[in-house]
Amino acid sequence: MTRRSFGRSVRNALAFAVLTIAAVRAPAAEPPAPAALSAEYQLKAAYLFKLPQFVEWPAGAFADAQAPFVIGILGEDPFGVYLDDFVRDEKMDTHPIVVRRFRRGEEARGCHVLYIGRSEGAALEKIFAQLRRQPTLTVGDLDEFARLGGMIHLVVEDGRIHFSINADAAKAAGLDISSKLLRLATIVPPPKR
Amino acid sequence: MKRSPAQNIFPRGAVRGGRRRGAWSRFALRAALAGVFSSGLFAQAVRTLPTPSALKKMSVEQLMDLEVTSVSKRPEKLSEVASAIQVITGDEVRRSGATSLPEALRLASNLEVAQIDSRQFAITARGFNNAFADKLLVLVDGRTVYTPLYAGVYWDVQDTLMEDLDRIEVISGPGATQWGANAVNGVINITTKKAKDTQGSLVTGGGGTELRDFVGARYGGQLAPHAFYRVYAKYFSRGDAVRSNGRDAEDSWRVGQTGFRADWESATGDAATLQGDFYDGKEGQAGPDPIRVEGGNLLGRWSRPQGEGEMKLQAYYDYTHRRNPGAFTQDLDTYDVDFQQRRPLGRAHDFVWGLGYRIVADDIANTPQNAFLPPRVTREWFSAFVQDEIALSRDRLHLTLGTKVEHNAYTHWEVQPGARLAWRPLKNHTWWAAVSRALRTPSRIDRDLYSPATPPYRIAGGPDVVAEKLIAYEFGYRVQLDPRLALSAAGFFHDYDDLRSLEPLNPPARFPAEASTGLRGHSAGLELSADWRANSNWRLRAGYTESRVHSEPQPGRADRSVNGSIARDPNHRFSLASFWDLPGGWECDATLRWVSQIGYQQVPAYAEADLRLGWHPRAGWEFSLDGQNLLHAHHAEFNAPAGRREIQRGVYAKSTWRF
Repeated sequence: MTRRSFGRSVRNALAFAVLTIAAVRAPAAEPPAPAALSAEYQLKAAYLFKLPQFVEWPAGAFADAQAPFVIGILGEDPFGVYLDDFVRDEKMDTHPIVVRRFRRGEEARGCHVLYIGRSEGAALEKIFAQLRRQPTLTVGDLDEFARLGGMIHLVVEDGRIHFSINADAAKAAGLDISSKLLRLATIVPPPKR
Repeated sequence: MKRSPAQNIFPRGAVRGGRRRGAWSRFALRAALAGVFSSGLFAQAVRTLPTPSALKKMSVEQLMDLEVTSVSKRPEKLSEVASAIQVITGDEVRRSGATSLPEALRLASNLEVAQIDSRQFAITARGFNNAFADKLLVLVDGRTVYTPLYAGVYWDVQDTLMEDLDRIEVISGPGATQWGANAVNGVINITTKKAKDTQGSLVTGGGGTELRDFVGARYGGQLAPHAFYRVYAKYFSRGDAVRSNGRDAEDSWRVGQTGFRADWESATGDAATLQGDFYDGKEGQAGPDPIRVEGGNLLGRWSRPQGEGEMKLQAYYDYTHRRNPGAFTQDLDTYDVDFQQRRPLGRAHDFVWGLGYRIVADDIANTPQNAFLPPRVTREWFSAFVQDEIALSRDRLHLTLGTKVEHNAYTHWEVQPGARLAWRPLKNHTWWAAVSRALRTPSRIDRDLYSPATPPYRIAGGPDVVAEKLIAYEFGYRVQLDPRLALSAAGFFHDYDDLRSLEPLNPPARFPAEASTGLRGHSAGLELSADWRANSNWRLRAGYTESRVHSEPQPGRADRSVNGSIARDPNHRFSLASFWDLPGGWECDATLRWVSQIGYQQVPAYAEADLRLGWHPRAGWEFSLDGQNLLHAHHAEFNAPAGRREIQRGVYAKSTWRF
């Protein structure tokens, strides 16, 4: 680069930087709007509430008729208070719904529904092993979630949310998923053991 | 070199295809498309979901029919994009058995992909294909990868860990309004997954007859609650192509590459990415010593929501080194900054504007046979664009108007306006039409290439080379007939002027000659594609493209290089891909392609097939056996018989372990 062209380049770069900064600064002066939960996760929260209505838990899954129905969030929680507000004062049959959050898979035993956050990609197999034979409906949106052994994979497709169900995994956990729900889902062939 | 603000800035895909992607990606598409109509996206007000109490009362079917969006933007559905776009997902690439980006691009039926030898490909959309095809803009995660040497792409050094591919968007037709000046016949936008989506470890490897051996590894981890990273490394070696007589073409090659990506997102919607790659390779060629290639890049990107809009800033540095014994040695440094802002104005307007600046420092060590003169140059490009998507009728009719203004060192100021109209009479049905002007501004090969290196020159650079100009007329229809079947059709007429030519200085003697832009031409064609989910276990995608390309000297010009036409394009192409899930974790996938003859080069029509058998014996493990180009021991795809290389049948086995 010659000295002259370098000087010109520097001037041009500075002009660009000034314009850019001006453009960035102006809007930044306004206070940022509070981050609302994306529609995607609002809808996924609705699914966490809705899908269990098509699933039957084995008799031993509840201590009694008033025992809470536990929706667990494992790892990164994308829902925040939206989910808590969503299920507040709601019941699953006779069971009041509560939301609990967990950091480790073994803590999540006893959940009726467990949403596995996107932070847990590397630990999925371990989590599924920890939950083996537990009547816990696992729900997630990581790639290949159902193929890897999760029960319900929420998939965004063409702007909508569909789901894949690993029916064998649910059956192995003693959960009975209604055929009505299965008809709406993509059924994932489970990995051969 | 051209700019591509929109894309540069929006490296992730834009259209919602099959996978989750960020809000920016959606934006990008829209934006990109450009100018299209993208707007559909933007212009529409924020799509909000019903309230929680309403959601609770809805049936699952109703929930499944709701459209979701992040932040404030409506996702763009593929069936609503007013452009000839095709999207290839990372999973389709995996199942196609493609082992490189050019092979993956064969899945897009609106592209011409012809393999020239073991490492070179000729790739374009809508005609004028060539090893130096120069009318395509190619971006990898927002970084422009065509070389300012000849405005084409060195496909041998464009790579990534194939498992990290998120999607490839292929737009045939000009995208110049927003995408930049080399987006004449099309745009390829390649995006990799976010680091958040590649957590954990992955090891892959295998070997075969053409792709001889390959290994790859990736590790993804978390730096902080909202910050993720991954690092990867890969290596492959590929075998030789053959000559027409079956003898070895001596062009085996190998490349190692490593890289990283880190992403951070704040609770308020700010997002930042830092990523980089480095590669080093050695490529055989008959005769001279092997070609050495080396390169690297570092890119940073920051985006921030601003009310209903957003802004984005991106900067990158890219360097490439190529030592091609017997031809030249090139060292190229590129510095690029892009800024883009989107602001809806009222209910009817969605406004996007952007600025871009690039410096390219090119240093070529010449040989006595060929010289780029001057050998060292530093050149700048400036660009700015504005685009408004206007909702003429709220959901039904959208008009997008925009223009790009660019300053380059060769032809100074250039303007590339476009107008696009989209009509959506029914949900999931889009009719669209567009008129755009696009340019390919001169590159070094036009102005600076001399042969031999000292006077008297047989071929000289052309001081009067101007930008190649295109006025494109396009129309199309896209429809999502039901959740299982999507169709699209696009027709085009491209009117070109000032195409690259070689003008004899003392006709009728062919030489000496000077590079010029004395050709004109036109092309017309039809692009059809279909995507069918036959059932939950079987998916098909098919495409057919028909086109005619013609070029001729302008009146009074004497170009002798082309026999009346520089078209080296097949008139018909058909492709079919099938992805079939079998019980027991098995997958059986096949792709079939048929390409008609390239008359000018006497390349016969051919059909070829790839077949893949994959098996997931347990979570995390994948094995596959892949056959490529199975129908012939070797076949020709490009170039005249003299010196032509042919592509051999190849088989490889691969295993992948995620843990």
